[in-house]
Amino acid sequence: MAEKNPKKARREKEKARRALMTKEQISYLRRKKITDSVWPVFRFLILFGLCFVILYPLLFMISCAFRDRSDMNDPTVMWIPRHFTLNAIKETAKAMDLGKTLANTLLINVGCSLFQVITTAITGYGFARFQFKGKKFLFGTVILMILVPPQVILLPQYNLFKALGLINTVWTMYLPAMTANGLRAGLMIFIFRQFFRGLPKELEDAAYLDGCGPLRTFLVIMVPNALSSFLTVFLFAVVWYWNDYYICNSFFSTNQTLALTVKNIQPVLNAALFNDASLRVSAREYVVWTQAACLMSISPMLLMYALLQKHFTEGIERSGLVA
Amino acid sequence: MKKEKKKRGLSYEKQKRLYGYGFLSLWLIGTIVFFIIPAAGSLIYSFQDVTPGAAATWVGFKNYTEAFARDPYFRTYLADEISEMLKTTPVILIFSLFSAVLINQKFRGRGFVRAVFFLPVIVASGPVYSVITGDMNTSGAEGADQFSTLFETDMVTDLLEFTGIYGLSQTLTESIKHTIDSIFAIVWRSGIQILIFLAALQNIPPSAREAAQLEGATAWEYFWKITFPYVSPMILANLVFTVIDSFTDSGNKVMGRIIAMQSDWKYGLAASMVWSYFAIVIFIVGILFLIAGKLVYYEVD
Repeated sequence: MAEKNPKKARREKEKARRALMTKEQISYLRRKKITDSVWPVFRFLILFGLCFVILYPLLFMISCAFRDRSDMNDPTVMWIPRHFTLNAIKETAKAMDLGKTLANTLLINVGCSLFQVITTAITGYGFARFQFKGKKFLFGTVILMILVPPQVILLPQYNLFKALGLINTVWTMYLPAMTANGLRAGLMIFIFRQFFRGLPKELEDAAYLDGCGPLRTFLVIMVPNALSSFLTVFLFAVVWYWNDYYICNSFFSTNQTLALTVKNIQPVLNAALFNDASLRVSAREYVVWTQAACLMSISPMLLMYALLQKHFTEGIERSGLVA
Repeated sequence: MKKEKKKRGLSYEKQKRLYGYGFLSLWLIGTIVFFIIPAAGSLIYSFQDVTPGAAATWVGFKNYTEAFARDPYFRTYLADEISEMLKTTPVILIFSLFSAVLINQKFRGRGFVRAVFFLPVIVASGPVYSVITGDMNTSGAEGADQFSTLFETDMVTDLLEFTGIYGLSQTLTESIKHTIDSIFAIVWRSGIQILIFLAALQNIPPSAREAAQLEGATAWEYFWKITFPYVSPMILANLVFTVIDSFTDSGNKVMGRIIAMQSDWKYGLAASMVWSYFAIVIFIVGILFLIAGKLVYYEVD
């Protein structure tokens, strides 16, 4: 009987259950039912609005980069360009010297990020697992590294590099990264320390008993276990180095990285494209080129993010930063 | 081989201690060369009259008095930035906690929404963000203009009038308007904070959730009695992160002034400005830490 009419049977069962419930329980269930049906609608509206706020500039960027400059003055063009063209992209790429700048950026970015991840991981491990005199004091220095803004120390650093004759060379970026003192190194050391502290000690004890030295234990036991954390920190390092223009600006006198070129996009564009006095480009039309430059400079990061999004979000959860 | 034998003579504890220094050695060298010496150097600059080409002379607190008493912009900018920081930091914290709670719930398309919410992490620390917001005084401002029309103050005023809040109190409406106007900036500056809060939310043991559900806790009660205590240590972390982030923000007027002084060759003055700004902010963070520290719940290990 019940199998033939499962809906009815379920309803009857529910009724029987409800008869056993107290008033409070029933009102709780009713309230829950209402919130469960109303809340998703609200949630959708809020999330939709917020996503829109975040995506708007990026959509605007894409929309502008591929349109003809005359479309900027056309009130009927909101999102979809009327005159689709790659001109702005091509001209901006030429003005930015895209190939060379990109290669330079990658050289600084990937190199520094790699070095810094390795050195900060070693430092973080040292803080996480060894007891020695002055550890608290040294860790205090790490916290200080997180707190002190780079602006404070940049000028004396500049003088130092100038004395060494390294200004305008990639060594100004590489040397700090190689000694765990590059961009946001303090934060990275902190993350690694938290992560290694969270790993079970038994892993290493077993290795020690088998006669492994600490260095080999670190390389053979800890590093493989920490790979996802390494990847996360590496990705963040890549993003930070990619976006940095402040430090680059101090150590390089020419626009050698993408971030720096975008920061100075107006002079760059003016010098390359709008030198001709007869050319009249209104401020509105100018947007086409700046947005094209923006799009080109962040598209590698966006691509990386699209491919590795999981590691950005899940890695930090596993990194033990929170626990 | 020889080294091995030598080490074996040391006690295990001592050996481990040495290894500890060994692991830190690279960082230690770098920190002394690239952090401590420059930081000390900058502190010394702030008490000196530094002109390129000439020897620096000791001038005591002259740079500091000049920064605060004579510089036409420094004091105003400082007051602006600090009040702005005090206003936006709590909003960012509340917003990011709220967002983290939202995207921690189960719904369709959650992966996409999360990806969008963390997108600012990729973009916001770079120069592209300043083009987007029009901070650069380039024509990029056009984009920002067009954007802000979406959140036109009139719309906000209408809404406030409709709900009857408008006219109740000048400061209330002003602050609501300010919040809505800066919604864009807040959403865009909350990426990392949301990430950290989300991680904290996911570390709440399922047993706590089950217990709350068995007891019939409402969402409101659940938030205040379970969620909030569990994420409270991360509120402190996010507080510090937000404040430090506002230091290096591209629109920070105080830093802009400092950089202007540097390019004017007034290194001593610039250094004194940086250090006094830093000291004030650290002082504020310290106070907030003391207040917030009492509200934080730490699970006993």
